[in-house]
Amino acid sequence: MRRGASLLTAENVAFVVFLAYLLVYPSTTDEFSIGNTAYFMAISLMALSLALIWGKAGILSFGQTAFFGIGGYVYGIYTLNVLGSGATWIGILVGVLAGGIVAATLGYFMFYGGVNDVFVGLTTLALTLVLQTFMAQTAGPEWAVGEARLNGYNGMYVPQISIGDAALYGKPLYFLYLAILIGVYLLLRWLSGSRWGYGLVALQENRTRTETFGYNVRFMQVQVFCLAGCIAALSGVLYASWGSYIDPSSMGLTAAITPVIYVAIGGRRSLTAAMISSMILLQLSQSLASSAPEYALVIFGVLALLAVLFVPEGFMAALFSAIDRALFKRSRPDRGVGTGDVTPGTPRVS
Amino acid sequence: MVTLTPSIPEEPVPDGVFNALYQFQVSFSFLLLSAIGLAVIFGMMGVINLAHGEFMMLGAYITTIVATHGVPLVVAVLMAALGVGAFGAIVEILVVRRLYGRLLDSVAATWAVGLILSQGMLILTGPSMQGISSPFGSFAVGQTSYSWYRVALGIIAVILLALLYLLFMKTKFGLRSRATIQNPSIAQALGVNTAGMYTMTFALGSALAGLAGGLFAPTATIVPFFGTNYIVEAFVTVIVGGANALLGTPIAAAFLGAINAALGTQYGLYIGRVGLLLTTIIIIRVLPDGISGLLERWRMRPSGARSRK
Amino acid sequence: MTSETPLLALEGVSKRYGGLRAVSDLHLVVHRGELRCLIGPNGAGKSTVFKLIMGFERVSSGKIMFDGAGIDSWPTWRRARQGLSIKMQIPGIYPELSVHDNMRVAAQYHVGGGQIEASIDRLLARVGLGGMGGVLAKNLSHGQQQWLEIGMALSVNPKLLLLDEPTAGMGPGETEATARLVESLNADGVTIMVIEHDMTFVRQIARKITVMNLGRLFAEGTITEIEANQAVTDIYLGRT
Repeated sequence: MRRGASLLTAENVAFVVFLAYLLVYPSTTDEFSIGNTAYFMAISLMALSLALIWGKAGILSFGQTAFFGIGGYVYGIYTLNVLGSGATWIGILVGVLAGGIVAATLGYFMFYGGVNDVFVGLTTLALTLVLQTFMAQTAGPEWAVGEARLNGYNGMYVPQISIGDAALYGKPLYFLYLAILIGVYLLLRWLSGSRWGYGLVALQENRTRTETFGYNVRFMQVQVFCLAGCIAALSGVLYASWGSYIDPSSMGLTAAITPVIYVAIGGRRSLTAAMISSMILLQLSQSLASSAPEYALVIFGVLALLAVLFVPEGFMAALFSAIDRALFKRSRPDRGVGTGDVTPGTPRVS
Repeated sequence: MVTLTPSIPEEPVPDGVFNALYQFQVSFSFLLLSAIGLAVIFGMMGVINLAHGEFMMLGAYITTIVATHGVPLVVAVLMAALGVGAFGAIVEILVVRRLYGRLLDSVAATWAVGLILSQGMLILTGPSMQGISSPFGSFAVGQTSYSWYRVALGIIAVILLALLYLLFMKTKFGLRSRATIQNPSIAQALGVNTAGMYTMTFALGSALAGLAGGLFAPTATIVPFFGTNYIVEAFVTVIVGGANALLGTPIAAAFLGAINAALGTQYGLYIGRVGLLLTTIIIIRVLPDGISGLLERWRMRPSGARSRK
Repeated sequence: MTSETPLLALEGVSKRYGGLRAVSDLHLVVHRGELRCLIGPNGAGKSTVFKLIMGFERVSSGKIMFDGAGIDSWPTWRRARQGLSIKMQIPGIYPELSVHDNMRVAAQYHVGGGQIEASIDRLLARVGLGGMGGVLAKNLSHGQQQWLEIGMALSVNPKLLLLDEPTAGMGPGETEATARLVESLNADGVTIMVIEHDMTFVRQIARKITVMNLGRLFAEGTITEIEANQAVTDIYLGRT
């Protein structure tokens, strides 16, 4: 336990409130809303994936959507081919692994090839676009893996997670997704406070210098990229099985943009802010979609731009910091990183 | 549509050669025109303008709207270049300038700008707009017909390159900008207005994007996502070319154009794109500074008694 | 205080950048416990030597032996874990992190979890920053930032500490304090190699001095010998 560390931060309080709300929520509302919120939770994993890779390690990747798609499609392919009661659960693992393997391979190529900063963004963007283009032209019947037809833009039917023969839906599915989301969140919080987490923050600031302290920087970059890829793939798996469907638009440009925007607005440097604000923004974008669909993205685009320009750590994360300073009379003393992982409100050199 | 079966040319050999040259030229000019605006900005400022595709889209829209009202294509394209160039200057002053030390954030910010532009255009003009047809018609060599306009694009690309060369090598502006690229602090100490230089460079890069968009407008559908047809190729060319926009970009465009043309005619559009991507990944791994880096190293190679201080 | 195997040995090391020879056929030996100063006019190749030792650059030819092992193909992080530590000319602290977190980052791989806080406190006191753990690094004065960086360089329990112009930008008071610090570190058993231009500082700490010029070893000796050496003065005045 770190000397003087306190758990009473705005961020932690927000998390507890958030968790409590989500636990109570299903008893207060209807089937549709429960399912809808489960969908939000699946997508919020993408925000966590980005907060990890971009906020912590300073790696701007536009390829998280690619791993999202890989996760969803591989899960679908596996579960369409392998039947049986446990297949969907193993399918989750297989989907996540597929994302992780592709991420590790790409990460190795990039970071051990000296590709950094902007070029990572470009390479990952290109990967996403090509995967989308590839999947888009798989409509014909010859594009199948075993029993699973890829189906291009017609979309692939994906089996839902089941126990035995019964597909999970409603409350059980909701709580499963909640458990997964919180589980990943807590894992990332724990990692943030570890040596590895500190090392990531350091290498974001200055790669060469960090290496001189004994950190195998390139390996760490591959590790974090792989982990973020796994989380994004998990998000894709949960999304695909929730809607029983996946198609290439889940890997398109808009899909690639959206999580980056949510994280930029809400909180890139704070896992909690990223998670909570992405849930909020997803809800908001859905509400806007019914009343004024085209405006949703423009509004979010403007918000994201303002955030990047003036509040780079994200509006919600900045709010956490401000509350901490005001209410708890703390100016983030010994702990600039690690506990609660909200870095103080000054724009950071990236 | 995308096909995986190789297309077997039916013409006798001379047509095959012409066809290959034509395809290469089309790919080359396509890549070069798409990339040159992005490369100029990147070479000077290290900024990757992710709104580049949307700037091209703006150029296409301006050109289309103006040309539909009777203005000759040439003028329409030039107006597009000027309009997007001015817009780029505004973006630089309002957005990019605040993010000089934060390159990754400038990527995110320009992406947001691009998003606002494409969605905004969607709201303003709807999902598509009536396009303009490409001028000059077509000609035939053997069994295949080719477009004069595409040939014109190839010529324009080369002329543009020559003009840029003159601009950067023979004018005072060019000298100042080369000084700023090499060493911004010293350039500033020597009286170069580096901030103004960056704004003008960004404006120039934007104008080139608008120009390219205008030039491509007769060949594509005018939709708010017009830029997505070109950004991947543009980025790929800039990555492979490296920071030297004058030399690296055209060489990269030639190299990638050859690959794209070869694979594309044999195996279709999709494989052509995959070929570009795979090549890029390999080049990034093997030549991180792109072709520009290769050129730098070749220039600095040891040679006899030469020593530098 | 010399032992059989030198701590650091550069054998015939050369480094070329294209047509430029930054370092030429350099033979340099540092023994355990030494406090060595590396001096020479601008462009002599001193910083390049440090870069080669730390692994920021690879040698074009020659070998680097550290503590008996040939390290010239090792990546930087591996050399760091073996006991090589550096404080470079360009600031190498993390401006957006607190002083405490700066030290924490540096120390993590070398000090166990239980002892890390005590170690941080001890080192901060050592470099004159005791009790300032909560301050953001970018809010320190220039001299304090240099000391923080020395503290960080020490966190890795180095066998050999490389200091590249540690007193750059410091006033005479801070320079003297730095000299005292460097001497006391050496007295504690840390082998130190310093690149410096400030001859006052060099005089305050030097035992043995290595002079480089144009990428080559030019002269070696004690401070008295070097200052009496007309040829050394000549190269500084450009009379070669």
